[in-house]
Order: sequence, then C-alpha cells, then structure tokens
Amino acid sequence: MDAALRKRAYAKLRSGAMEALKFLDEKPVVRVGTATCGKAAGALLIRDAFQEEINSKGIDARVVEVGCMGHCYAEPMAIISKPGFTPLCYGNLDEGLVKRLVEDFLLQDDPCYEFAMAALEPNDIFPTFQDFPRGVYEEKIILEYCGLIDPEEIDYYIAWGGYSALDKVLHMDPREVLQIVKASNLRGRGGAGFPAGIKWDVARKAGDGMKYVICNGDEGDPGAFMDRNILESNPHQVIEGMIICAYCVGASQGYIYIRSEYQQAIRRVKKAVRQAREKGLLGDFILGSDFCFDLHVFPGAGAFVCGEGTALVSSMEGGMGIPQYRPPELALSGYLGKPTVLNNVKTFCYIPHIIQKGTKWFKEIGTPGSPGTAVFALAGKIAAPGLVEVPMGTTLRQLIYDVGGGIPGDKKLKAVQIGGPSGGCLPGEALDLPVDFDSLKESGAMMGSGGIIVLNEDDCMVRMARFFLGFTQQESCGKCTFCRLGTRHMLQILDAVTRGEGDMDSLRVLRELAEDVKAGSLCNLGKTAPNPVLTTLKYFFHEYEAHIKEKRCPSLMCPNLIAYFIEPAKCSKLCNVCVGSCPVEAIYTRDDGLKAINQEKCVKCDNCLKTCPPEYSAVIKVSPPDLVREKEREMG
Amino acid sequence: MSRQIVMTIDGRKITSREGEKLLWVALENDIYIPHLCAIKGQNKPFAGCRLCFVEVEGILQPVTACTQPVKAGMSVKTRTPAVDRLVRTAFELILSDHRLNCSRCSKNGSCQLRKIARERGLRLGLERLKPLPEKGQIDDSPRTFVFDPSRCVLCGRCVWADRQVAGVGAIGFSHRGIQRRVTTFAVRNLAESGCIECGLCVEACPVGALFFKEGKPGGKSLTDSI
Amino acid sequence: MEKDAVIKNTREILKNHTAKPRNLIPVLHDLQEKFGYLPQPAMEEVAAALGIPAVDVYGIATFFNGFRLNPPGRHQIQVCMGTACYMAGGQIALDSFERRLKIRAGETTPDGEFSLEQAACVGCCSLAPVVVVDTFVEGKVTPTRVDGLLLSLGVAPEKQENRSSKKDN
Repeated sequence: MDAALRKRAYAKLRSGAMEALKFLDEKPVVRVGTATCGKAAGALLIRDAFQEEINSKGIDARVVEVGCMGHCYAEPMAIISKPGFTPLCYGNLDEGLVKRLVEDFLLQDDPCYEFAMAALEPNDIFPTFQDFPRGVYEEKIILEYCGLIDPEEIDYYIAWGGYSALDKVLHMDPREVLQIVKASNLRGRGGAGFPAGIKWDVARKAGDGMKYVICNGDEGDPGAFMDRNILESNPHQVIEGMIICAYCVGASQGYIYIRSEYQQAIRRVKKAVRQAREKGLLGDFILGSDFCFDLHVFPGAGAFVCGEGTALVSSMEGGMGIPQYRPPELALSGYLGKPTVLNNVKTFCYIPHIIQKGTKWFKEIGTPGSPGTAVFALAGKIAAPGLVEVPMGTTLRQLIYDVGGGIPGDKKLKAVQIGGPSGGCLPGEALDLPVDFDSLKESGAMMGSGGIIVLNEDDCMVRMARFFLGFTQQESCGKCTFCRLGTRHMLQILDAVTRGEGDMDSLRVLRELAEDVKAGSLCNLGKTAPNPVLTTLKYFFHEYEAHIKEKRCPSLMCPNLIAYFIEPAKCSKLCNVCVGSCPVEAIYTRDDGLKAINQEKCVKCDNCLKTCPPEYSAVIKVSPPDLVREKEREMG
Repeated sequence: MSRQIVMTIDGRKITSREGEKLLWVALENDIYIPHLCAIKGQNKPFAGCRLCFVEVEGILQPVTACTQPVKAGMSVKTRTPAVDRLVRTAFELILSDHRLNCSRCSKNGSCQLRKIARERGLRLGLERLKPLPEKGQIDDSPRTFVFDPSRCVLCGRCVWADRQVAGVGAIGFSHRGIQRRVTTFAVRNLAESGCIECGLCVEACPVGALFFKEGKPGGKSLTDSI
Repeated sequence: MEKDAVIKNTREILKNHTAKPRNLIPVLHDLQEKFGYLPQPAMEEVAAALGIPAVDVYGIATFFNGFRLNPPGRHQIQVCMGTACYMAGGQIALDSFERRLKIRAGETTPDGEFSLEQAACVGCCSLAPVVVVDTFVEGKVTPTRVDGLLLSLGVAPEKQENRSSKKDN
C-alpha cells in the first residue's frame, strides 16, 4: 500500500475517535475512578449513585469509568467536567456528596469548590495538581492519562494521540527505531535496569524466523501496584509499545503476562487487545502497512518467582515457574526456544513517548545514567499514599516529605523499605540518596519494582526483615539449595529472635547464611532475598540486640515480647468497651471497678487498645512483658 | 565446539575441547569437584545443588563448574576461601534436610554426600544449623526398591532418568520452596504410579533416597556419570 | 460432581485449546473456573490429552498459588499479606479469622462454609489492613470488624454466657 494511503489510515482512525468522543466537550461528564484501589474504597457505589441521581433529575450527562490517578489517599474519586467550567477533581466521595454535586454543579452551576481537590487545567480560580507541593517534583509521562481516559474504550487513547507513534514507526526502517531506543538509553523498569535497546538489538539480529515479544506484568512485590494501575488505567499505551517493539525486532506474536490476582487488569487488557484488533492496530497489515503482529493475554497462576524472565517463560511453556541457568539470554533463545524480547509493563509504556518526543527530550529528564522517570507506589506510614511518577534522581526525602506529604501524626520516620523483598530497609540518614538504578545498589537496597514503604517508630525492623524473608521463602521455587534451605534456616533464626529466643551467636549464623545465599543462589530471587536481612542487620543492629539481650521489642510490635496493660489512673471504671471488645474474654472488672487483663488469656489482638475511647486511652503496650507484673504490683 | 584448547586447573595444564563444561573436564582429569545434581550430556545444566563452585580468573564471584564452559587460557582454582565457604554452607544446608542415619543406609558405601565430606574434609553433621522436619513417608510399595523422601536431596537425577532414559514419566517434582518434593501423581504409591521398576532412578540417586531392597538386581545400568 | 461428569466437562474444556503442553496453565485456569478446584480425574484427563505425564500436571497444580486441589468453601476469605497490610495489622486480622473459624490459613471449615487464605498484595495499600470476602474488599480491618464480617455471613458471635464480671486472678 502506498504511503499516502497508509497515512490516511491513521488519520481516519483519529478523526473517528474524536467524533465518537464529541460528547466530552458537549455535555457534563462524570469520570469515576474504578481501578481495583478505587473499587476497594467503594467506587462502584459512587458510580451508581451518580448515575441514579443523574437519571432521577433527568440531566443529560454521562458517567464514565476511568482508571486511577494515583491519589490513593483520596479514593473514591471522580472528575466532573461541564462545558464552561474547568474540570474539577473531587475526593473522598460518599453518597451525600454525590447528591450535592449533582444538584449544585450539574443541575445548577456551583462547582462546590469547598469539596474539590484540584482542577485539571490551569485556571484563575482553583489550583491544579501541579500547584500542589508535590506538583513541583512530579513529572507524569506514562501515568499522564491514567485516571483521565476510559480504559475500556479505545477511542479515548486514540483521540488523545495514541497509536500515532506506531503510525510514525511504520513509516520508518526498523533499524532507525532501534537507534532511537538505544540512543534514549531507556533502562528496563522491571528492577534490574538493563538497557532495553541492547536486548532489542540482540533479538533483532537473531535471524529472520519466529520471534516473540512478551510484556512482564507479573508484578509480585507485595507492596507495589504500579503495573496493575497502568494496565487497568491505560492498557493501550503498553500495547502500542509492544507493537513498536515487535516491528523493530521482527516479531509476529506477543503475549502480555499478567499475574492471576489482577483479575480486573486481565479483563481490561483483553478488552483493549480486542478493540485494537478491530481497529486494525493488531493482526494482519497493521494500519495498512505490510507489518503483521498479534497479541494475547496470558494470565499467570500465582508465583512471585515468575517475575524472573526464564521462570516466566518456562511457565508459559507449560512448565513450573523455575528459573533456568543463563546464558542463553531470552533475546536469543526464549519462549519455545525462539528469540524473545521480555520487558516490563512500564518499559513498553515509555516507547511511544520516546518515539514521539525524541531521545533528547527523554534524556533531559532524570539522571545521565538513568534517564526518564520512575514510578513508585508509596505506602505505609505516609500522609498521602499512592502512585507517583518523578524524574529519576529525585531523593527519598523529596519523595516522602514533598510528594507523599510526610509522616502522619507526631511520629518519627524510622526507615524506608524500598524494592520490596529484593530491596532493603534504609535508615533516616539515607534520605538524601537520589533514587535511580545505581545509587541505591551501593546502599544495599535496590530500586526493584518501585514499592516504597515508609516505616515509623512503631514498626519493628526485625519483624520487617522476617516478613520479607517469610515471603521469599514461601515464593522460592525450591530448585536450588541456597534459596530453598538457606532462606528456611534464616527464617527460623529470625522467628526465634522475634520470640525473644535467639542468642547473639544465631545472629552470626544469620549473617553468614545471608551472605552465602546472596552469593550462591541460582537466580536473582535467591541472590536478592537476603537484602532485607542484611540491610536491617547493617542499619538496625541495635533492634536485634534489644530482642535478644533484653527480650524487648523497641517498637512494641512482636507479640511474644509485649503485653497489654490497662492503666488504673486512666481507666474510667464505668466504661465497658474493652471488656466487650476482647475476643477471648481476657479482660475483666476488678472489685474496685477498674478493668484488668488476664495475661494468660490475652492473645494480643490489639482490640482493647483500639477500642478504648480516646478520652481515656487507658490501654498501653509494654515490653518486655514482665513489666506488667511490676505495674500490677504497684497497683496492688 | 570441537577445537582443542589448553587451560589450567589448580595450576595443572589441561587439554580439552572448547565449550565443554568445566565440571566434566575436571572430573575426567581426576580433579574432584563436589557435585550432586549434574548429569553429563544434559542439555541445560540443572545447577540446583550449588556444590560445584570454583573460582575462574577474571570472574569476581565463584561460579558453578557445571554451567561454566571452558575456553583457551582459562585459569581455574577449585579451592579458595570463597569457594570453600560456599561449599561448606551448601553442604551443611543439604545435610540439614537429609535424614542422617548412615549406619542403616544401604547406600552407605556409594553415597556422594560421604564422598564430598571425605574429599573436602567436611563434617557429616550439623555445626551451625538445626535439622529440618522430615519430608514424608517411606514408600516401599515397589517390588524391588524403596523411596525414602526424608533422604532426598532434590537433585532431580531420578526424574531425569525416569524421563530421559526410561521414558516413563511416573515421578516428577511437585510444590515449591521448602515443600518441593520428588513425587508421583497426587502422592500415590509408586506401585500405582505407572512405574515400571526399571531401576534407573535408583541407580541415578546419588544418596540413599532410592535404594534396592535386596542388593542390586540385574538390569541395564545407567551410564555412570559420577 | 461424579467422576464421569468431571471427565465429560474436562473434555469440553479441552476442545477450546490446542493439545499442546504450553496450554496447560490456560486449561487449568478453565478447569478451576468450572469446578472451583482441580479434581484428580480432570488432571489425569488433561495429562492424557496434552501428552504429558500426569505427575507434571500435579506438579504445576501444586507449584502455583492460584490452583486449588480441594473444593473451596462457600465463602472465600482472603487476608492481604502485602507489606503495608502486614505492618498495619494484617497478621492480627488473620489470627482473628483463624481463631473464630478454628481453621488455619489455607484450610476450609469442616462444614464447607469458609475457606481462609492469605493473599499477596491486593493493591489497596492505603486501606491497610485489607480483607477480601468473596469479591468484596474491606479495608482497615480490626478484630471487631472480623466479628462483624463473620456475623454478616451468618456466624454467630462467640458464646458470651461464660463472661463474668469478676475473675479471680
């Protein structure tokens, strides 16, 4: 087909999409964020409430489901646009507020600024997200349209300029495309940071036969949800990146591997693939060119280790998710023994942007060694948890205090866990580290997937290490000695420490095992599994010591080393809340009316402490547990 | 691949075919390197037991000899402090998951764990670690042999013999992590598993997890690659 | 379901896939959607159809978290054990369910009403600790809320009559 005709294929697609979405400019539209996180906060009820109110008032408006903007702390959220008004975003919605917004804003013309979070476009009246303190640091590239477009309707992506990079690429020589990707120095966002261009080059040169492109959406870090969010909020961005990759390396088949827990992501991506096929963006003769490529969704079956490339491929072939010794690299011999490019969800997402805006633009963001942005999932003891996208090289301090709003309450930051089970716990002193692929490795942590958990003085570092080791131990494939057995013994030692049963010599063994598991394991899951232990031993050794020498958990967290106590001076006597809240009937009323805890029965469920009315706050935790006996003697 | 090259192991000059895996080159030249899972001629090395560590000049960390192809001028050391430390830990880890009752084990004479202990001067016992719980019930349902999972080191040689040599498919791996086992479908008795009692898996077992009931019956012998 | 019916249904599902080993996981997903778990006769049927040893199907079924070998309870309770949930009291919520249902994580109550599972991160970290009951996501779960959730599913609160106002200590 000649070039002019090909050019027209995309132009036609684009104008069709704009036509289909004309209503966005013509009538009021309510966009409700219904990604998994929004749903958990009740977004579906909010969606229905909007629809009901609009119907009952007979308003000509549309309710549209969109993905997630990353402001988890304010879910459920909605964006309301109305001709003549700047689109506004509202958070923490409930049915009462929905009613009010429909009546006051949609029916009349009062945008209820008192409930608005931010405007979406610059204006003279209300601040935008860019005006937030975090706006200074945020730079949204791959999250830009997440939460704004309907992921289940391809026209949105196309109308916003989506698939134009693909159209551009189809007019280029694949070698040119490779040059761009290489020159951009885009590093894989799965955690290891391997340059994507080099991988693509190897696969490109690996003959003319069957080749595959696979997207790794097996996000398994138990504190990370960036990939899920992108797949749920803007699936076409990933698909476009994959098609471009396939064109570049000469692949004709692709798979998006999504972990089975992400049911909504699987559903939305399947729908997106179907729609892309209907529009001629997948399948034979894409956009009227000679290029043919098709894509399928492969739902995983639940194994963290499948995030490792060789394990992922092995499980796609019908085997266990067990890592293989490399080389050969997947780019030479991957799925079914054929050359395979395997990249993370986010890596593919950058591709259309780099194609459109160029390598110079991309390299001006971030650091020279790690160009571009990084996407993080902020969680834990932080005021504004959620998803953020910032330039590489942003410091942890900026991320936590400026973007995440700092630590809530009067608590002090103790540590930052970064990189999940493969990463490490860094102390407050490390806050000025720039976050990129290389700086973190030197500190013993790694960027990993991008999960950041902020910990405060109430979080026990030994328990934290134990949690992650318990996770990797459970997720170890079991093939190699160090990972299968080494992590098991490490876990047993940590368990003993959290029970106050360890001795100092066991810490020596723990460290030796950790170093050997790191050096001796077959794959990166095993090689990085000891990081949470090694970093806590390095930065928080005193906490280990307190557990062992004083049988005390300084953060009052380890159940075996704490006891609950009701302070007589604070107990109201007349209130019975704690008695009723105790699931094991350990709390009783003494003859003098004070409440007390039968320590033998207490299961340390924390319920009494949570339910004791704040005006009394009579329930406290003490460690070591023996302190209770002293206190009981004092009160007689 | 068939080019002859010269390299050194522990200072000894050795001639070999380029690309051969270091472990087999060393063993053919009577240089012992501990190993449990390696099988000569296997396409992709299993590389699971993590005992065959060596140091190669120019590579920072110890590498497994079963996966390392040899090339001209390569200089290898089989004993260095870093290698010895990893081997010692790997060996102790394996022992912690292997029921040690050598005096009542019929493989006592041919056990590779005993050989490793002897060659490397390692104790056949636990110094730093506590034994892990045993891995399951003894299966003596076959007429000719017994499977004792509590002695199994999960090297995978029996599974390989069952598949690649005998072509049966009665046993395989199940579960993962510390739960990983060599087992039959749904942990049925071997006698009900489609096992043909060829005995190849028993001969492939480097330890006492699979052993013949009364000595070694006649039958074809697995190419001894140990 | 009777064995014959299981095999008949399995064959129906196999018709939707080409008989290649690489379709094993997709086939097992379909089977579990149909039966709620992977019955042994179904696994043997799949092995025969794909030309692989039955023990390999068993191996895959036990390797992955997502597959069940036993029928699940009528209600499935998943307690999120992601990092944020764990640090915010996920273990306490799990302990409460275990205590109330008298089963451990990974088990089903003898009456087949409830199965209790640990979930890897559900991805709602800002609502930690999170519990998923069937498909309903519940955030900020305390032991009291566990009682409330179970009550809404028809589990009466634990017996209170032994509760006395006084106890000899």
